[in-house]
Amino acid sequence: MKGKLASLPISYRLAVTSRILAAVFGGYLVAALASVALTMWLPLSRAEAVVTGMTISFLVYLVAVLWCFACRTAWSAWVGLLVPSVILATLSGAARGLGYA
Amino acid sequence: MLLALLLCYAGFCALCLSMPRHHDELLGNKPSARRARVLKLAGWLLLGLSLWAAVAAHGWSFGLVDWFAVLMLSALALVLLLPYRPRLALALAGLSLLASPVAAWAQV
Amino acid sequence: MKEGFRQSMAWLHTWTGLLFGWLLFAIFLTGTLAYFKAEISHWMQPEIPARSINTEASLTLAQRYLQQHAAGASRWLIDLPDARDPGLTVRWQQAPNKPGERGKFESRTLDAQTGSEVQARESLGGEFFYRFHFQLQMPYPWGRWLATMAAMVMFIGLITGIITHKKIFKDFFTFRPRKGQRSWLDGHNAVGVLVLPFHLMITYSSLVIFMAMVMPASILASYNGDVRAFYDEVFPASKTPERANRATPLSPMAPLLAKASEQWAGGSTARLTVNNPGDANASVVLSRRGDRVVHDFGRAVTFNGVTGERLGNTPEQPVAMAVGGTFYGLHMGHFAGATLRWLYFICGLVSTAMIGTGLVIWLGKRQLKHAKSGVMPFELRLVEVLNIASMAGLTAAVAVFFLANRLLPADLLGRADQEVNAFFIAWALSVVHALLRKGRKAWVEQLALAAVLFVAVPLINLITPWNLGVTLVQGDWTLAGFDLTCLGAGLFLGWAAWKMQRAGSAVSVKKTPREKPRPIALEQEVS
Repeated sequence: MKGKLASLPISYRLAVTSRILAAVFGGYLVAALASVALTMWLPLSRAEAVVTGMTISFLVYLVAVLWCFACRTAWSAWVGLLVPSVILATLSGAARGLGYA
Repeated sequence: MLLALLLCYAGFCALCLSMPRHHDELLGNKPSARRARVLKLAGWLLLGLSLWAAVAAHGWSFGLVDWFAVLMLSALALVLLLPYRPRLALALAGLSLLASPVAAWAQV
Repeated sequence: MKEGFRQSMAWLHTWTGLLFGWLLFAIFLTGTLAYFKAEISHWMQPEIPARSINTEASLTLAQRYLQQHAAGASRWLIDLPDARDPGLTVRWQQAPNKPGERGKFESRTLDAQTGSEVQARESLGGEFFYRFHFQLQMPYPWGRWLATMAAMVMFIGLITGIITHKKIFKDFFTFRPRKGQRSWLDGHNAVGVLVLPFHLMITYSSLVIFMAMVMPASILASYNGDVRAFYDEVFPASKTPERANRATPLSPMAPLLAKASEQWAGGSTARLTVNNPGDANASVVLSRRGDRVVHDFGRAVTFNGVTGERLGNTPEQPVAMAVGGTFYGLHMGHFAGATLRWLYFICGLVSTAMIGTGLVIWLGKRQLKHAKSGVMPFELRLVEVLNIASMAGLTAAVAVFFLANRLLPADLLGRADQEVNAFFIAWALSVVHALLRKGRKAWVEQLALAAVLFVAVPLINLITPWNLGVTLVQGDWTLAGFDLTCLGAGLFLGWAAWKMQRAGSAVSVKKTPREKPRPIALEQEVS
């Protein structure tokens, strides 16, 4: 699958590093935002909603990480995380603004 | 837990035999389509029965835990026995079926 | 695209598995040992007598002891003895200097019948393995963070493994020994798939257990940063009342046991936490002994420490908390009786074996390419050394920990720490040894050493009053079982070392998940 480490081109290494950073940090961001959005919108008591949000967040993290390595290019890894992040952040903010939170 | 274990083991054996490759390895010939279907059905039925046995004995929460434990370990036991002692593996399945009614009676 | 997806998942599985495999092996091995931590502690402190239990009497003794020795503490904790753990443990915590810091804990073990400090040899016992597997001997909170990150990687490893395993149903019953690399892969797949429910449960639950620490965003957002308020809502019983700074004696706590048991329809108390003992605003929180699968965090019963009246209601656990409680309960397995506990232990060993076989396969595959040249590139050599030290070396270190317990003088100052040091020194030496010796030789020697060390454990007991001859006659199954398990582990490791030695040009031994997993490295391969 992989040849000797020394023979890999720099561009490949950069792409992999980029995906790793996206997965680790970007994935965490998406997971955290998902937990917040869930907490804001779930029709449960505050503590229950928080616990539910946190519990589910790791599934989101998983999907984000898989995406970062399954997608075609390293750039799409980042884009694929950015878009949901914006949406989730908006949803969370909207809940606040609309008085649900 | 014993009844659930016996039924699980027998069930997995049936499911294993329903696969042509394993049937051939263990019994020397490939199963007919009908036999494969019967074995598959029997296998799933036995697994279902073992779940019922586990839950009947200890209620849902302990029963489910017991069942999963027994499920995993009987599968592991079967898979490890198969390449080394295939006849013993099958014999144990037969024994399990025979012993099940006794275990069921003991559980009640 | 589908092909590309599987391939990328395989890549991810391979590399996350390698980079975190060594750490995860250690976490899983020590975690597995932790299922028997009470038994290990009993073996390592055999002086603590296993008495018949009278909880009210023990509690009264504990209260008296704490009154004498920890009157000024901000919190007391009393762990009552039970069938598995005969020790009566008391702990107290001094209020931290700065808010938000953790106060320092002091701990003592008392004789459950006399209330005096037990003159047992100082030892961490099984607690060492338990704490190591989620704190990794690192200062708070870094160890937990690292362990939880490893758990997330484990989760990714499991899922990518499932995705990558094309023939997951077809090969469900497939295990072909004596076929070299093929057998190792079959073995890895078998222990992976057949015990998958356990792997998934243990991994995801470990994330949930520390979720408030690693994923606090929703707490901060919902509670505007007031984390304390969140904890008070989820664990209403743990609310620590403010000190009134009026000295008021604490009422006897023994009668509270019966009152709590009523609330729990017959359940019993495992632990009491006394907040502000000796103060007018003292409260006593009784935590239920884990006898349910779904751990109920909110079900602790709280009493006013001075008047003894019950404070607050214990509401039914909401679904979300029950889910969390289920994860916690399943992971800890407190409710497990003897049979189920052994099953937990076996499953844990199988998980460990899954990780170990993966590491061996990773290296084995790549070693093939360099078999001709006979020279291993640096990266592979590094992996080989880490494989040997983190698996065989770690196992030997566990035996050293037990032996140190018997060999270090009972009255040595700081011997609990010395036992732990012995563990880490042994582990470190295994790294050095692996660096100095060729791969196969290092494996054989370390496995053989581990075998000798484990067999030595029951043997060394022969010079103590707790040897197998005595314990089998007395029926102390914990002590006898421990010695016998060590003996079994030693025999298994010896067999593995022998197999490894013989394996010359073809290797085909599968780890059986009966005892400690014994991965055997490949030098050459016959396909």
